[in-house]
Amino acid sequence: MHQALPYRTWVPTTGGGSSAGLSSATIEPSDGPMNPGVGMKDVTCVTKMVSENAVIVFGRRGCCMCHVVMRLLLGLGVNPTVFEVDEEDEAAVVDELSRVIAGEDAKEGRPQFPAVFMGGQLFGGLERVMATHISGELVPILKKAGALWL
Amino acid sequence: MNSSSTHFVTSRRIGIYEPLHQISTWGESFKTNGCPNTSASTIAELEAKLDNQSEDTSHGTPGPSEKYDQEATKPVDKVQRRLAQNREAARKSRLRKKAYVQELESSRVKLMQLEQELERARQQGLYLGAGLDAGHLGFSGAVNSGIAAFEMEYGHWVEEQSSQICELRTALHAHISDVELRILVETAMNHYFNLFRMKATAAKADVFYMMSGMWKTSAERFFLWIGGFRPSELLKVLVPQLDPLTDQQILDVCNLRQSCQQAEDALTQGMEKLQQILAEAVAAGQLGEGSYIPQLATALEKLEAVVSFVNQADHLRQETLQQMVRILTIRQAARGLLALGEYFQRLRALSSLWATRPREPA
Repeated sequence: MHQALPYRTWVPTTGGGSSAGLSSATIEPSDGPMNPGVGMKDVTCVTKMVSENAVIVFGRRGCCMCHVVMRLLLGLGVNPTVFEVDEEDEAAVVDELSRVIAGEDAKEGRPQFPAVFMGGQLFGGLERVMATHISGELVPILKKAGALWL
Repeated sequence: MNSSSTHFVTSRRIGIYEPLHQISTWGESFKTNGCPNTSASTIAELEAKLDNQSEDTSHGTPGPSEKYDQEATKPVDKVQRRLAQNREAARKSRLRKKAYVQELESSRVKLMQLEQELERARQQGLYLGAGLDAGHLGFSGAVNSGIAAFEMEYGHWVEEQSSQICELRTALHAHISDVELRILVETAMNHYFNLFRMKATAAKADVFYMMSGMWKTSAERFFLWIGGFRPSELLKVLVPQLDPLTDQQILDVCNLRQSCQQAEDALTQGMEKLQQILAEAVAAGQLGEGSYIPQLATALEKLEAVVSFVNQADHLRQETLQQMVRILTIRQAARGLLALGEYFQRLRALSSLWATRPREPA
């Protein structure tokens, strides 16, 4: 299985509450459950993460649909970053993501979790990922976003 | 439905019938026998009503014997007119009776159908009441109307499916044009999409019912995966039926099988995680203390996710079907849909055969 190099590797922080960085949720294929990310109170990093990651998945903590997206992407050889959203941060994160989306394509509206961003843009939810995978369109898009290298 | 209202209904219907110039035995015996019985007096009453509606000014409700006497003394043309009115009244009466009987018959058929559906539903252990006495299989407490509605709709869906399959079979043998075949293919596809829509609605009513495939026959349930058939299985059944395929098609089908399997695996793993989370929620805290309402409240919240899984699984089935149709020629697609339809018919037949197989007495 081919490993993708993310645009930038995040330096994991040791403690919680640090505003400078965020614990990277880079998943190793051998991992079972996802490593919990540190909950971020300062959500402006969200915008940064979207632009700096080839593929990033935003999902509620413990959400099983998010798990499905993850397993699908992993199965393709993608190394997606995962941002687990705590309940109390949810509104703030959605707002921030809406701002990111509004920049490109206003008709997307408020994102629903799980939300997959590729190459800095909102790609969609689980349904879109499934549909494009079945139609064979997903892998070329992933390659174009730099998430998959042949 | 009481008889008086029926009479009113049927007498209104008489207006649409053209007058027939026939004398049936009922009319004859009514006139010649002259012996009053309940039906005769009723007919006489109705006759009177009809007389009043017509322009005839003759009044009174003569009993049969009295009328017989009067006929002999009246002038001939009046007798003739009276006879004609008798015939007319008797005819209308017969038509009313016929309509009423037909209504009774169709109601009886409907009642039998409903009884059968109810019996079948009971045997399948249809929806148990939401209360705590839900442990008795086959005891239908409060019936979930959303599920009851789905079951009936599904019955019609299967019937429609059968007729569509017949149509496909006939069309393929008759070598109709591709344009016409495309219509049949799209109809068949939309029929499946309708089922997925029905399932989505029913999942909100009772997701466990959907997950257990309760509306399906036993053999179909044996192959159940998240409330329906496995998309990868579907491809395994279909592909051998579609020979010959071009090289490009073989490649596309291969890719589709792989993507389908990957998507299926991802959903399966998500489902397993959900089961784990649910089990943990139910088992939270001390088991054995006897009080567990808060744990179940938490578990209940998690069940919303199960609805999403049913929907996502159906979405995958839909996407797989659509991609198959894209890869194939229209004729191949028609053959594929026919094969798929018959495959499920065979499974259903297998269930019946199994249920009715001769067994040694216990």
